[in-house]
Amino acid sequence: MESLLKNLNKRDFISVVANRQKKFAAADGAVPSGTDASRQLARSLHPRAQYVKVAAVTERAPDVKSFTLAPDPARGTTSLAYFGAGKYLTVFVEINGMPVTRAYSISSAPKDALEGRYELTVKLVDGGLVSRYILDNWQVGTEVTVSAPEGNFEYQPLRDAPTVIGLAGGSGITPFLSMAKAIRDGDEDFDLILLYGSRNKDSILFYDELTALEKDCDRFRVIHVLSDKDAKAGKGFEKGFLTAELIQKYAPADKPYSVFLCGPQQMYEFVDKELEKLALERKFVRHEMFGEFHNPSTQADYPAGVPETVKITVTQAGETRTVEGSSNDSVLQILEKNGISAPARCRSGECGWCHSLLVSGEIYTPPQLDYRRMADKQFGFIHPCCSFPLTDLVIDVPEAK
Amino acid sequence: MKNNYDVIVIGAGNGGLAAAAHCAKAGLKTLLLEKHNLPGGSASSFVRGRFEFEPSLHELCGVGTPDNPGDIAKTFMEMGAEVDWRSHLSTYRLIVPADENDPEGFVGENGVRVKVDASMPMGFEAFARKLDSLVPGSYESAMKAFRLSTLMYEAFDMISGDKINPVKLLTRYGDVFKMAGHTVKECLDELGMPEKAQGIFTAYWCYMGAPPMRFDMLYYMAMMHGYVERGASMPHLRSHEMSCAIDKVIRDNGGEIRYNSEVTKVLMKDGKPCGVVINGKTEAYARYFICNVHPGFALPDLFAPEEIPEDARKKVNGRPVAASLVTVYLGMNRTKEQLGFHDYSIFIAPTVDSDRQFHISQGKLGSDFVIINCMNEAIPNCSPEGTSILFLTGICYGDVMQGVRPQDYKKLKTKLAGDMITRCENTLGLSIKPYIEEIEIGLPPTFSRYLNTPNGSPYGYQLDMWDSMLPRTIQYAKDQPFDNFFFCGASQERGDGYGCAYFTGKKAAGLVIKQFTEGK
Repeated sequence: MESLLKNLNKRDFISVVANRQKKFAAADGAVPSGTDASRQLARSLHPRAQYVKVAAVTERAPDVKSFTLAPDPARGTTSLAYFGAGKYLTVFVEINGMPVTRAYSISSAPKDALEGRYELTVKLVDGGLVSRYILDNWQVGTEVTVSAPEGNFEYQPLRDAPTVIGLAGGSGITPFLSMAKAIRDGDEDFDLILLYGSRNKDSILFYDELTALEKDCDRFRVIHVLSDKDAKAGKGFEKGFLTAELIQKYAPADKPYSVFLCGPQQMYEFVDKELEKLALERKFVRHEMFGEFHNPSTQADYPAGVPETVKITVTQAGETRTVEGSSNDSVLQILEKNGISAPARCRSGECGWCHSLLVSGEIYTPPQLDYRRMADKQFGFIHPCCSFPLTDLVIDVPEAK
Repeated sequence: MKNNYDVIVIGAGNGGLAAAAHCAKAGLKTLLLEKHNLPGGSASSFVRGRFEFEPSLHELCGVGTPDNPGDIAKTFMEMGAEVDWRSHLSTYRLIVPADENDPEGFVGENGVRVKVDASMPMGFEAFARKLDSLVPGSYESAMKAFRLSTLMYEAFDMISGDKINPVKLLTRYGDVFKMAGHTVKECLDELGMPEKAQGIFTAYWCYMGAPPMRFDMLYYMAMMHGYVERGASMPHLRSHEMSCAIDKVIRDNGGEIRYNSEVTKVLMKDGKPCGVVINGKTEAYARYFICNVHPGFALPDLFAPEEIPEDARKKVNGRPVAASLVTVYLGMNRTKEQLGFHDYSIFIAPTVDSDRQFHISQGKLGSDFVIINCMNEAIPNCSPEGTSILFLTGICYGDVMQGVRPQDYKKLKTKLAGDMITRCENTLGLSIKPYIEEIEIGLPPTFSRYLNTPNGSPYGYQLDMWDSMLPRTIQYAKDQPFDNFFFCGASQERGDGYGCAYFTGKKAAGLVIKQFTEGK
């Protein structure tokens, strides 16, 4: 057969091998550096864990405290990871031999992180084991381990409108505080109008800080919305709830706006109905997660006849054991209550850190929290933080490293 | 004995998954360790709002049809991993925008001035005819190029068959050796392909990150042939489906997988690896090791300096790292029809010259060269009704993040993504920004975090004439740092690409299985 490449030499490829050997022989024999700017940046923004110490405690209200966290060089953390306003930290604590995690939004400014400062605010949750523990035990000097900054509740100029209506309830104010500070510092570029729901004037968290921020920054405005019937309102106050009418009153009339929500589950149930009246495009409504989901049996699609207690046989790093728990608890909670540390960050189904294999058995996941990948569902992977056992289970859970 | 294995596979990227699957199927006691909580490395997915995004896969050229399966489909069948493949029957559209004064410019089908607007069809004949209509006089040369690739596959069949006849191989398949020893540019010049046609013909250079002047014709045509003959395919449920399917094969065959389990040290005995430390605390031992971590990081991270053979150090230091990527993932609140997309893959290039595209991407963050994919063209129901998914990719080379501070990073990401989106809007004459419901942006540090590779490159080492597939293949065994420790993944023979990584995993597994059964 006649060659199509007549003028090229078919033996040239032989020299390719020799040429390669020559190149390597001439190369530097030093130990490879193993680093570059991409790796350094990735490690700085996403450290595996951050070892910090409580540097200050501020009482905000009865059973509400802010904790300033600073790096703890003795345990290997010399600087804190920078973050986008709105992100949260997962706190790792051990209570009576039970390893648990909780996610708290950072309320300090992103630029404070560069100076070695994060602020977390913890409010006592009804029957809250972890919040009670932190409020009672954390004091100046307490050693704490937290995650890298996590989460997606952030302003994104290519997606969100130039004006954001923030709807906050209770301690849901924290990510908005960070956003307001970031706007003030020039680290974020949007207008934030915050409608902050509280019971009465005394129960407003960060009242002074919010007032000061409003003064310092003309792109931030706060309107306190007081729900108590006899609450005294005045300038800068509204009475009632976070309603569609109220949003319309403060939102720009002639241009699109984004609505960001952060607060308890009950607030979302109310506000989501109000938002329907405004018929906003879905891209303009963003929710921060509200934390753990409780009482799955109240859900309409929860099946009947689920046993009260279940057995879970769990394999972790090659070790297998069987534990017992209540079917009203998530798989993650059952593991933790039995002293098994599982990887978990958001505890709301979204982040996927707890991604585990369900070998056998059945679970219930509330549909609104089912952020599993499509293939996960097909191949039996679950997010234990929002999976509730319906039968005895056999699962394979990665190590919490 | 507990924590004692025949083989430990470090890293569950595509290469590590395939390696572990083959070892487990062969009956070896296999432990697969992965530092992340998911399998797949690049082959994964992530959820934002109501969208599930594909992080890396553009298209697979080796799936084919059930009657005529390609390499990747065969790889999965061989492992016993089931994937629901979706095909689409087109190759790519290459657009080179033109400015007002450009004499070569004309108004293309989107009503925007362009120099080149080439929507290339599937099938050799159709492809060559289309090329000829765009650049008259290029038909013959394109057909010859496809004849060469057909010849090449015949030669591959002969090489992989039982009887190799070296004389016949060299006489009948002389051109195949010429393809191996010469660049795409040299060969296309020899075939008489006009320069502009070469630019259109070599648009796939970006998938391997190697330009026609420095890439061997053999490898380029293997890829080109695959896409033009068979078209492209995708797994239905993002590439996470492929990774889960292999994960299942490993477990079903008695293999053990541990996620969130980072190998932090390789243990040595008598100058050879004998075990690993996991998460800095537990130890596990094995006779053989397959490593899916890039050698540029695996060697300094996992070994003490004196444990790394000099030859292995030189092989890291002597090779440039391949391309890094800038990616933008968009969940759109409009359908592809509403947005005006009717192509799956569009390459937007600043110039028709592929070599020039490569050169201007050196050391520069951000990219004038943008690939835009509309996933709904390949998988119509990949996003909820009334929505669509777009995926933008730019290419860059080198340690491009130098001088970027953590506090600048978010703004930089937004700026680069905004520029890439604007470029697509202007070139395609359509509107994207108002309809973005979800957005995620990946820069080299993002890839560094998830793939753990130098410069965050998903592409391994730069493929180049001196370090092309052929010499890498011939010297594979010599390239390994120890005789019981084998690398797999994009850093090995075939460079980047899912099929390439699966191949290297299977190859490493094959060598381990052979040594194991021979009792070495």
